[in-house]
Amino acid sequence: MIVRLLLAALAAGLIAGMAMTPAQYLKTIPLIMQAEAYEHGEVPHSHGETENAVAAPAAEATGHGHDHGAEDSMLGFGRFWDTVLANLVAGAGFALMLAAVALLTGIGFPEGRDGVTRGLLLGAAAWFCVQLAPSMSLPPAVPGFPYADLGDRQGWWVIDVVASAIGVWCIAMRPEWLVKALGVVLIVAPHIWGSPVPEDLSSEVPAYIASAYAAASLATTLFFWLLLGGLLGSFLSRVPEEQTA
Amino acid sequence: MSTHTQSLSLTDRIGARTVAGLMALVIGSILVFGVGLANSQTLHDAAHDTRHSYGFPCH
Repeated sequence: MIVRLLLAALAAGLIAGMAMTPAQYLKTIPLIMQAEAYEHGEVPHSHGETENAVAAPAAEATGHGHDHGAEDSMLGFGRFWDTVLANLVAGAGFALMLAAVALLTGIGFPEGRDGVTRGLLLGAAAWFCVQLAPSMSLPPAVPGFPYADLGDRQGWWVIDVVASAIGVWCIAMRPEWLVKALGVVLIVAPHIWGSPVPEDLSSEVPAYIASAYAAASLATTLFFWLLLGGLLGSFLSRVPEEQTA
Repeated sequence: MSTHTQSLSLTDRIGARTVAGLMALVIGSILVFGVGLANSQTLHDAAHDTRHSYGFPCH
């Protein structure tokens, strides 16, 4: 049963991750490419490193170069396949974590349409926690944007995702009004505390690209999470309960 | 399965769902961390477009 549960989650994640690549190439990656053109223009990077793609080999640099030639890609097949791979891994990872939440909080998936519906709701909740909630204070950003310290932002992002997830659980799964209220507090608190904000907000990247990108990121990830949730509900409902290994 | 095996495995004590859930949580966290947050240049470059698209803090 354990292996089958894990495989069911993995299958859902790989399918959703696979579907994410065309969605990204339709909506987000063209904007990333456009933004990178501005980034590479001659804007000094906020990290202060020289980012001349031609000069130093990227492997040596401790900073954040963005050289995406085929020769230094992870698989050696270039940027597209790197993204395919990364999306598959991200899909599998998110699917396992979503399945973990369902299993550990006792969310069961009945067979048939009800299981899918419940999966869709779970996916929507995950989209809120992982995408919408953090983006309210830390909007999805294209390259070339002004950045606060990476570690600070990652720390805030993780805290916000976890707090939002616990908050949603409190609101959706617990009957006590006090706990529901605590859930609202958990969701709101990280935003009141505030996310790391860059000191200098000026950017060479046009505002149109930035706003289009934020919307595109939220839209493509909503597609991803709903697909993932629906598939997960459908697949997990087919794993028989009392079966060992 | 009507009969249980003799060994008192973790599964017997806390239930298969919980074990599967914990395993999924650990493996899933590692994968998501690797794609989204790990501070490795190679991982960052490979997952660059994915990180941006998912709204992970990047750069």
